[in-house]
Amino acid sequence: MSEEKKQSTATTDMKKLRQERKEYISGARDKMKGQNKIIKALKEALSGDPKTIPELAEIMGMKTDTVLMYVSTLKRYGIIGEGPKDGDYFKYELTK
Amino acid sequence: MSETKKDESGEARVGVYICHCGGNISDHVDVEKVAEAVKGIPGVVVSHTEMFMCSDPGQELIQKDIESGSINRVVVASCAPSLHETTFRGAISRADMNPYLYEHANIREQDSWVHHGDPATAKAITLVAAAISKSRGLEPLEPIRVDAANHTTVIGGGVAGLRAAVDLAKSGLKVALIEKTPFLGGNASQLDKVFPTGEKAADLIAYLTSAVIKDPNISVYTCAEITGFEGYIGNFNITVSSKAPQGDMLHQVQAATAGKFQPFGGFLPKGIPETDTEETLTTGVIVFATGFKLYEPRTGEFGYGDNKEVVTLRQFIRIMDEAVPGTGTMKIDGRPIRRIAMIHCVGSRQIPGIHEADADDYMNEYCSRTCCTATLQAALEIRDKYPKTQVLDYYRDIRTYGHNQEDYYTQASEKNVLFFRYEPEDSPVITKTVGEFPLKVSVIDKLTFNEEVEAGVDLVVLATGMEAKSITNLVEMMKLPVGSDKFLQEVHPKLRPVEMANGGILLAGTCQAPMDINESCNAAQAAAAKAAAKAAAMLGKGYVELDPFVAKVDPEKCKGSGECITECPEKAISMTADNIAEVNPALCTGCGMCVAVCSVNGIDIQGWGLKAYEDMVDAIVKF
Amino acid sequence: MKAKRDLQFDAIVIGGGIAGLQSALDLGDQGYTVAVVDKDATIGGKMIRLSKVFPTLDCASCITTPKMSSAAHHENITLFTYCTLNNLDRQTPDKVVAQLIQEARYVDPEKCIGCRKCEYGCPVYVEDDEQGGFNMRKAIYIPFSNAIPQIPLLDVENCSLCGKCAKVCPTDAIRYDMKPEEFSITAKTAVLATGFELSSMEQKPQYGLDRLQNVVSSMQMERLLAPHGPYNRVLRPSDGKEPDSIAYVQCAGSRDESLGIPYCSRVCCMYAIKQAMLLSGALPLADITIYYMDIRAFGKGYEQFYQNAKAMGIEFVKAKVAKITQGENQTAKLRYEDQEGNGGVMEREHDLVILSLGIVPQWDPEGICSVGCGQDGFIKSIMPKIAPTVTNIDGVYTAGVAAGPKDIVDTITEAGAAAMEASNYMKSLA
Ligand SMILES: Cc1cc2nc3c(=O)[nH]c(=O)nc-3n(C[C@H](O)[C@H](O)[C@H](O)COP(=O)(O)OP(=O)(O)OC[C@H]3O[C@@H](n4cnc5c(N)ncnc54)[C@H](O)[C@@H]3O)c2cc1C
Ligand SMILES: Cc1cc2nc3c(=O)[nH]c(=O)nc-3n(C[C@H](O)[C@H](O)[C@H](O)COP(=O)(O)OP(=O)(O)OC[C@H]3O[C@@H](n4cnc5c(N)ncnc54)[C@H](O)[C@@H]3O)c2cc1C
Ligand code: SF4
Ligand code: SF4
Ligand code: SF4
Repeated sequence: MSEEKKQSTATTDMKKLRQERKEYISGARDKMKGQNKIIKALKEALSGDPKTIPELAEIMGMKTDTVLMYVSTLKRYGIIGEGPKDGDYFKYELTK
Repeated sequence: MSETKKDESGEARVGVYICHCGGNISDHVDVEKVAEAVKGIPGVVVSHTEMFMCSDPGQELIQKDIESGSINRVVVASCAPSLHETTFRGAISRADMNPYLYEHANIREQDSWVHHGDPATAKAITLVAAAISKSRGLEPLEPIRVDAANHTTVIGGGVAGLRAAVDLAKSGLKVALIEKTPFLGGNASQLDKVFPTGEKAADLIAYLTSAVIKDPNISVYTCAEITGFEGYIGNFNITVSSKAPQGDMLHQVQAATAGKFQPFGGFLPKGIPETDTEETLTTGVIVFATGFKLYEPRTGEFGYGDNKEVVTLRQFIRIMDEAVPGTGTMKIDGRPIRRIAMIHCVGSRQIPGIHEADADDYMNEYCSRTCCTATLQAALEIRDKYPKTQVLDYYRDIRTYGHNQEDYYTQASEKNVLFFRYEPEDSPVITKTVGEFPLKVSVIDKLTFNEEVEAGVDLVVLATGMEAKSITNLVEMMKLPVGSDKFLQEVHPKLRPVEMANGGILLAGTCQAPMDINESCNAAQAAAAKAAAKAAAMLGKGYVELDPFVAKVDPEKCKGSGECITECPEKAISMTADNIAEVNPALCTGCGMCVAVCSVNGIDIQGWGLKAYEDMVDAIVKF
Repeated sequence: MKAKRDLQFDAIVIGGGIAGLQSALDLGDQGYTVAVVDKDATIGGKMIRLSKVFPTLDCASCITTPKMSSAAHHENITLFTYCTLNNLDRQTPDKVVAQLIQEARYVDPEKCIGCRKCEYGCPVYVEDDEQGGFNMRKAIYIPFSNAIPQIPLLDVENCSLCGKCAKVCPTDAIRYDMKPEEFSITAKTAVLATGFELSSMEQKPQYGLDRLQNVVSSMQMERLLAPHGPYNRVLRPSDGKEPDSIAYVQCAGSRDESLGIPYCSRVCCMYAIKQAMLLSGALPLADITIYYMDIRAFGKGYEQFYQNAKAMGIEFVKAKVAKITQGENQTAKLRYEDQEGNGGVMEREHDLVILSLGIVPQWDPEGICSVGCGQDGFIKSIMPKIAPTVTNIDGVYTAGVAAGPKDIVDTITEAGAAAMEASNYMKSLA
């Protein structure tokens, strides 16, 4: 899509809306910041061999349930894939 | 959207759509590989995969390709066609293309649910290739239209049949209500109070029968059965034979007053036939409401038959009705009943290897659904009326599932009904005793850590279950599907509970499965709604539409030998004056028997011609 | 959108779950025009969110989508999703009026083509209730892949207003300033099919839902088992382990006076057995135990289903579970009173514990509609034995779980009955 302004933003007074939704916006931004950090760490941790959730949690210094939440989310959006099984756990890897 | 764009009869341009079915298919079949593999098959112009083909995005995919003019044949590879054939035909129709230019490949039930890995993918490719080959030869078809009668028939005058008749009549249809006995009300007539409201069964039946009698749209045929049947949806011809009651029946009729409810008998409508008559009716839709019959315990089963102190719950309901009220202890024929044992699941929930099968190696494996609450209702009534009569309740699971029913269970515990839980392999044993009590019940009670508990009792009440009513003659005459539990079988146990596979035949109440009165009425109303919808469609247009997959004669080839006429099991073929065979498409089921016997290949099934099979086999061999 | 001010239909159906859809189809097929109103952004209700259904083990998506899609494409049926019902009132014998608000999706439904580019473009992740809270969606999202309509909604509370979705949208459909719109629907008759939700376990903290990681609700388990679930397989939510030992706690929130839910929820025995069967298919080595009071397998084919489950090796233990606490290695420890065998209080650890929660009404008509409800909160029939769908308001009917717990087949049957009553009511007006 080109740079020309769309109706969605052109006819909308974005400034006013931003003012109205100030709290939501700052909440969402904070959330996003935290998320981006974790996603970055997760991608880094997965840059080598495929890993299980407990392995990832160990590397990232995070709780296993949070790591699983992110892994399954990124899997949903096609960024992470499921690899081979290791004992009771599956390994995960970055999709190309 | 111009006709030329789609060019339905021109060279085939096939669109192939392969479904992941969430993961039902794609977990086992490599759908992308299938889509790739079939791309090279002649005629294929597009080949897509989609998460759920039946979802809106899936259907729109097909529509877009048709509307852009790129395809004129559709092949969908997904679940069984019984689930979704009409979905995809609908999508094709919406894109303004003939819906019969469509072929279905079942790669779920016939593939991914039974095969895994590479073999599953290979089979999918074969199935899709065959469907593609067939689709190339498809021609546009039109559904068959037949005239429809503004008339419905309800078989059975129990609560379900009465309910259905009232609703059909209200919706403006003529109704014939056909009841075998002289009475209306069916099995519910044998009840006193009904759970969970405590209303009198007599009042419920009276409400429905008065609506039936008042409605000029309803004709009631009592002492009547259907003895002849032919035709198809919209146009069934049935013979109704009425017989004047005789013997026992006659006595019952004489004991009752016409136009009134007879306790434990039913409602006796006026106009009981005095002679045997026969009438033919043309009817558009038939509702089955033939109900259930009570399980009859074998002699010796829980002491039944050997001891007069062992009765069924139904018998007991009547005994209670006739017993003298309020002395603290119940009395039957002057005999005090100090303690009653009630036993659940008699003739229901039978387990192979534990219970005894009948001569046909059959047993009732299902739960009869109503007996737990009916038993507790009776138990509570005893405790309320005769506080000195003790009740012992022997059960497997208490199934008081419905609205207000759990209340009966809680109250029974509060009112000191004593519960014992038994396993089917350790069912209660009833023995005669001499002493204080005439009978003894022994059981291994799961609730007291498998202790053997013995109790003397004055009466044993068996909560006997429901069995399918035997209507073999109707089943055979109308070719009705029957389940392994002997009840009539619906099209789909989840989605289409009140329809049968036979077009225009519907189900209401306990002829389909055990249920209580409100559930029977719900089913009856749902069946009536289906009938009304069919009638609205038929009356609006004046016809019914049937699938066009029927035999068609090629008058050029037909030599008039008539082999097909003798072979056709539906009697759908006749000879014209010009000595050419002619098919009545409404009667034809498309079975293909005629095709097999015609020596000159002069008859073929539309949409499933011999050429189609050849094309499919060729493809299967190749892929 | 102006045309939406006051709309006329023959019938209005509140709730687009399987009950509402079936009623609408049965009315639409009779030639009546029907409006289906749902508060949710998609039709389909609970059924579309299930894994497979008892006793046929049909995949729920596969058998719900056709109903959804035939309603969506029906010439006589119009869908109104993401709407709030403010009032429903019978005014004259041939007029029920519903006052509604079309909530803002922030997406122009006329323009959107459902491509999901916005969803992929959006940078904010939000915990997804549709997936049991086990993974995340975006701040703009289509609820699930077979939702109808296929139009995303923007969750303003989590939107950073960064403009990315508007930028990638090929049809310029995003409307950040969309406002809710009031409108009304006038009809002759109405069917209330507002369904259910699961009972809250807050009243029963001893079961540890929301507190213990591997204690999940039955609906969450449906998602774990669904073909398009959060993990695409069954894993322990605390750490992704494939569970070896799984337990069901029956009547967790039903048949319990202390919770104000004295009734039986009617489907939980069967769905637990179903889930147990699906689990033993997916995890052949896992031990599966069902702790129950009575097994209520009363429908057609259900008892046989139960006996099959027993034969497959699923363990049924008659017991009352008193308490669930954290066990070792992230397990959940059950303390229960065994009512069979040797009896007594026992303890056992499981990798994953599912609470078969009870069913409570989703809609409270108080202040919105004068329809009568029972003590249990479900819409009450005034003729429960012979016309179970008839309510205290003339020409207003109820169907499905809105009228009391029931399974899909009983819901579908009742929905047909409600449609019959509604169409005969309309005929009686003429
Ligand atoms: C002991 C007991 C207690 C119960 N208590 C309760 C209760 O308290 N509350 C409750 O809700 N339910 C109760 N029930 C269940 C209730 O009886 C049934 O739900 C109800 O009677 C079913 O009605 P129906 O119309 O489906 O079948 P039926 O009552 O069996 O009616 C079928 C009718 O069809 C007729 N028929 C059969 N074959 C033919 C044929 N070939 N041609 C023409 N006519 C035919 C029969 O003569 C009969 O009149 C109880 C059941 C039992 C056994
Ligand atoms: C965990 C679980 C598993 C199950 N598994 C099975 C199974 O395998 N087989 C089976 O037969 N049954 C099963 N069931 C039962 C089944 O889910 C229900 O029978 C069925 O979904 C009921 O459909 P319904 O339309 O009545 O209600 P719902 O599905 O709840 O639909 C109600 C609809 O109304 C809408 N609504 C609510 N309030 C309003 C309002 N105020 N305004 C507008 N719209 C409103 C809701 O958004 C929803 O779309 C299961 C239930 C659970 C909890
Ligand atoms: S309803 Fe109760 S008594 Fe009847 S078969 Fe079922 S479990 Fe047994
Ligand atoms: S990107 Fe635009 S058209 Fe695509 S789904 Fe989002 S809103 Fe709809
Ligand atoms: S269906 Fe089973 S688990 Fe659910 S409340 Fe009833 S008895 Fe309890």
